[in-house]
Amino acid sequence: MFKHMKFIAVGLAAATFSFGAMAQNDRALDLDALLKQLEEGQFSQSQQNKQREQEFMQKRAEQDSILEDTRKQRDARLQTSEQLETQFEENEFKLADLNGALDDRLGSLKELFGVLQQVAGDTKNKFYNSMISAQIPGRAAFLDQMAQEMGSSSKLASIEEIERVWFEMQREMTESGKVTKFNTNVVEAGGQKTNKEVVRVGPFALVADGKYLDFNGVTGTVAELIRQPADRYGDSAAELQASSGEMVEFGLDPTGGSILGLLVQAPNLRERIEQGGIVGYIILIVGAFGLLLALERLVTLTLVKNKVNKQLKSKEIKENNPLGRILKVRERHPNADTEALELHLTEAILGEVPKLSRNLTIIKIISVVAPLMGLLGTVTGMINTFQAITLFGTGDPKLMAGGISTALVTTVLGLVVAIPMTLLYAMLNTRSKNIVYVLQEQASGVIAERAERG
Amino acid sequence: MTEFLEAIRDFTETGGQVLLVIGLLIFVMWLLILERALYLLIWHKNFKSAAIAEWKAREDRSSWYAEQIRQKVISRLSIQLSGSIPIIQALVALCPLLGLMGTVTGMIEVFDVMAISGSGNARSMASGVSKATIPTMAGMVGALSGVFAATWLNRMAKSERTHLEDAITIKRNA
Repeated sequence: MFKHMKFIAVGLAAATFSFGAMAQNDRALDLDALLKQLEEGQFSQSQQNKQREQEFMQKRAEQDSILEDTRKQRDARLQTSEQLETQFEENEFKLADLNGALDDRLGSLKELFGVLQQVAGDTKNKFYNSMISAQIPGRAAFLDQMAQEMGSSSKLASIEEIERVWFEMQREMTESGKVTKFNTNVVEAGGQKTNKEVVRVGPFALVADGKYLDFNGVTGTVAELIRQPADRYGDSAAELQASSGEMVEFGLDPTGGSILGLLVQAPNLRERIEQGGIVGYIILIVGAFGLLLALERLVTLTLVKNKVNKQLKSKEIKENNPLGRILKVRERHPNADTEALELHLTEAILGEVPKLSRNLTIIKIISVVAPLMGLLGTVTGMINTFQAITLFGTGDPKLMAGGISTALVTTVLGLVVAIPMTLLYAMLNTRSKNIVYVLQEQASGVIAERAERG
Repeated sequence: MTEFLEAIRDFTETGGQVLLVIGLLIFVMWLLILERALYLLIWHKNFKSAAIAEWKAREDRSSWYAEQIRQKVISRLSIQLSGSIPIIQALVALCPLLGLMGTVTGMIEVFDVMAISGSGNARSMASGVSKATIPTMAGMVGALSGVFAATWLNRMAKSERTHLEDAITIKRNA
């Protein structure tokens, strides 16, 4: 082991030596210098190391002081947090106390303001729909604003505001008992605005020039109703406007316009017929066809009846009526015996009867089929209604009601066609039967009378 | 008097237009019924006695000719007897039909109100319901009153016809 060490040391020394010899050719090559050099090198090394140690120590001290500062800060924060928490709790107690005190002091006033807000809202809605707003506009806006302010902020209503609500309600009440005249802009049925003298009957009716008016609370406009009620009501309205204090009869809508509004929305005859759809039109066409047939029969049968009556009374035989044509048979077969004559007469009568009862069966059939077609329309309409129900459920009666009224319109149309057709059939049948009776039972009698007279 | 008229007017207005038609129909029906009743009870007797006297005045009451003439006389009188009875019967049959029409139109109005105002507002539907029910009642009243009158007239006419046939007889050569 030592041997080895020695050997390495010698080797090293030799190597160092040879190295130094090679690197520093210009320096004095002696061991002393080398030694000195080594010493100096060691010295500078240790110097550097010391310096670095010192720097390190310094930095560490700095870090320590920063840590210290941070800790202090954290402690301070914790302290303030604790302080704030306690303050918060104290404040909570204070708040609860103050709220309790507020409630105590408000007492019955709290309920009063709640009621006031509610009443203001209700009255606002009432004013929007009231006809009196046509005469006194802008009442609802104030109430609306007040109700909103009371709902959104903690601001209490002032005494003036409360008194104004009272005043407005009192005014509505007083005005609803009056019949007054005032001027305002009225939208006429044609669409133009004109300033007119309008009569207001309480909160129920507005009339001008014998026409009933409708007040729209949202837009604040007064408009003529497109469809007016029966004329005598309009006359009563005109009479009211012309009167000066004496008692007049007047028709008013106690619902404040909703019944009169229904008048406008009710469909007229053409809209009704259109509701019937295809089936309705078919029924009407069939009905018109039947009516034409019936009229044709009515005219022909009346003419024939008159001619037959004339023929019964006159002595000469005319060929322009069935009775005359049957009476001719006798002249054609002057030599026939009674039995043969009867046969000839029967033949002639059989030839005349179909001409008289022509198309009557068609009229009868139409009078029977029309209600059935109406029923068909009803059923198809109901099918549509039930389809609407399967699609949208039964939540909206409007969806169903439309289909149902369509279904019923066809029933009405069927009856409208069937009723006159039944009447006409009864009349025409009686007429043609009577003529046929005359031919069947009286023709031979007439012939017999003529034979007896010779 | 005016109150009475106003009551009638209000009734027709609550019943709607169909009620007016039914009223007219019942009015015409009863006019015809009265006309028939008067004919059967009063005028017919004169015609009948005239026809019987004419027949009694004849010498020949047995030949084919006489038979034909007898038939003619009876036929003429029986046509006059029946007169407007078939029309009266048709009118009686139409009364309930018109009542049904009133029902349906009234119901249409109810459904219109429903379509406009949404759910069941009973007050606004009431007018439609009364328009549906009043004509039905009126039609029933007309039909019921007419049915008895029409049956009575029919029976009277039939019995008069048999009376005639019994009064105007053919002499058989035994």
